Amino acid sequence: MEPTQNRPFQNKKRYLWAFIIGTAIFALVFIISNSIAFLEFQKVSNIQDSLAYKIFEDKIYASFFNQSICTDNSLQNLSQDLGFQGQIIDDMEKKFGKNDPQVLDRKKFYTLVELEHLEFIQAQIKNCNLSMNTILFFYSNKDPDLERSTEIGRLLNEVYLKEPDKITIYSFDINLDSDLIRSLLQKYNVTQSPTLIINGNATVTEPIRIENVQKYLF
Amino acid sequence: MEFIDYIIYASIYLGLIATVFYALSYSVFKKRKELLFSDEELPFVSVLIPAWNEEDTIQKTIESIMASNYKDFEVLVIDDGSKDKTFQLAKALEKKYPRLKVYHKENGGKASALNFGIEKSKGDFIFTMDADTYVHPESVNRMVRYFKDSKVMCVSPAMLVYKPKTILQRIQQAEYLLGLFLRKAFSALDAIFVTPGAFSAYRKEFFKKHGGYEVGNITEDLELALRIQYEGYRIENCPNAPAWTIAPAKFKESLLQRRRWYHGWLKNLWKYRKIFGKKYGDLGSFVIPTAGLNIVFSVVVLVYALFKTISSINTELAFLSTVNFSLSGAWNINLYILERFAFLFFSNPVMIFIIIFIVIFTVYTRYATRKTGKVPGLLFNMFLFFVFFSIIFGFWWIVSIIYTAFHKNVKWR
Repeated sequence: MEPTQNRPFQNKKRYLWAFIIGTAIFALVFIISNSIAFLEFQKVSNIQDSLAYKIFEDKIYASFFNQSICTDNSLQNLSQDLGFQGQIIDDMEKKFGKNDPQVLDRKKFYTLVELEHLEFIQAQIKNCNLSMNTILFFYSNKDPDLERSTEIGRLLNEVYLKEPDKITIYSFDINLDSDLIRSLLQKYNVTQSPTLIINGNATVTEPIRIENVQKYLF
Repeated sequence: MEFIDYIIYASIYLGLIATVFYALSYSVFKKRKELLFSDEELPFVSVLIPAWNEEDTIQKTIESIMASNYKDFEVLVIDDGSKDKTFQLAKALEKKYPRLKVYHKENGGKASALNFGIEKSKGDFIFTMDADTYVHPESVNRMVRYFKDSKVMCVSPAMLVYKPKTILQRIQQAEYLLGLFLRKAFSALDAIFVTPGAFSAYRKEFFKKHGGYEVGNITEDLELALRIQYEGYRIENCPNAPAWTIAPAKFKESLLQRRRWYHGWLKNLWKYRKIFGKKYGDLGSFVIPTAGLNIVFSVVVLVYALFKTISSINTELAFLSTVNFSLSGAWNINLYILERFAFLFFSNPVMIFIIIFIVIFTVYTRYATRKTGKVPGLLFNMFLFFVFFSIIFGFWWIVSIIYTAFHKNVKWR
């Protein structure tokens, strides 16, 4: 009944196998999650391209074929699609990183699509008496303005949900390295983030409460 | 990535490696032939039931062990100075069961009651049983066979919760079930370091050579398990020997119990700290350190989650006040929201790891139910376990660590 002195390991190689298999599973999970993210990115990119095509097509019909823009309601209905695009690109940015070249390209293209949509809506407002509020939301994805920008983004979402048929929101990252963004900031004299430009003329830099935004809407 | 992300991934990585290691150990063990007593070799055993103020359960416990199919055994009830009717109720059963002897002694704690019983016992093998525990008729028969190996000093059963009713009891039922596979994997490695005080079996020779239970130790069963390992002997596990114990129904009771267990575990581990290291093979180099790291990770993640939740609640309340507490979006579920949710869920590695661990736990549960039989309400208990256990576990440990760090006295009840 003597005890075992200096109890040996049962099989040291088992630790090696456990390490190899465990590490393989660990790595595989990251590969799977990144693959899912990449597939979603591809899908969103394709949708964005379709969205852009639709916007350009409608504008060509109006400008080249002189079709009346007042009878075209399709681009108003695209605002929810635009909103989703913006949010999913934000998610991609968090997933792949702020400096990922593919995400940056998509953000730039998204900016262009937004502006094309905005131009069309503004034309409808001017020529067709369309009752639509436009909000340009200039945000930052970097500290120290990131947290406040996120809060304003949520607040704007609440504003939108109260009257989704009468509001379109366009979001622009002021840190994006894009001539379009720089021109926009100059055009609207935006010097800080978060900043809201409501209906092209009201500038709101600290919307503390929902009423601070709603008072400028019609 | 934040610091906490590294902690979470480190704990997942460690969990994966440990799981694979234990699975490999179990699969190797399965190919071995176990050394077991045959029917002709079954020895005389003594069952000790220390009891203090257990009038609600003592009779049922005695009847449970008396229903055992084992042929040669005696049952000694040691009333440790109860102030209720424990002694009288147990004594009343002596006439009904000739194998039963009931003793009364002055209150001295569970360890002293067990040592008293060991002195009075006739068997070479001692079963210790709590007065609120019930056993399967075959459990004694199946457990005692493992003592055929002369190095085996202790055999543990498949510990389960008796008829869980409250959420807390259901969570503990799931915890005990999931632990059955690990306990067998540990025994395959000679690395069991915790044996249930509610029902376990010991070779009497160990007490003669190395002393009885440590009087004054609030976790005398944990101390004994570590002592057995420290002295170089083996602890076996019999997964098809079910024993049911009554788990605490309310949070305060469970906190008192866990505080005693975990405080005791820390103190006993410190006492036997020489177990850490290569000298004690897989137990000292991997099993105990991994268990310790798991606890550290749980505590760190819980503390972080607590502060994060408080901060999130503050932020959320501040935001809600800016929208006059009117959330139009709360009920606005559409395909975009579902798609975003699906993307955020499946592209998050932590969620995929959670799915993997659910699969692993399903395998563990399947093992447990094959050994112990069907468990009513299993799916619901497992769900509650997944949702709440890590939070409760971390909380129990934080309280225990604080008590240990500040040298506070921890009592039985």
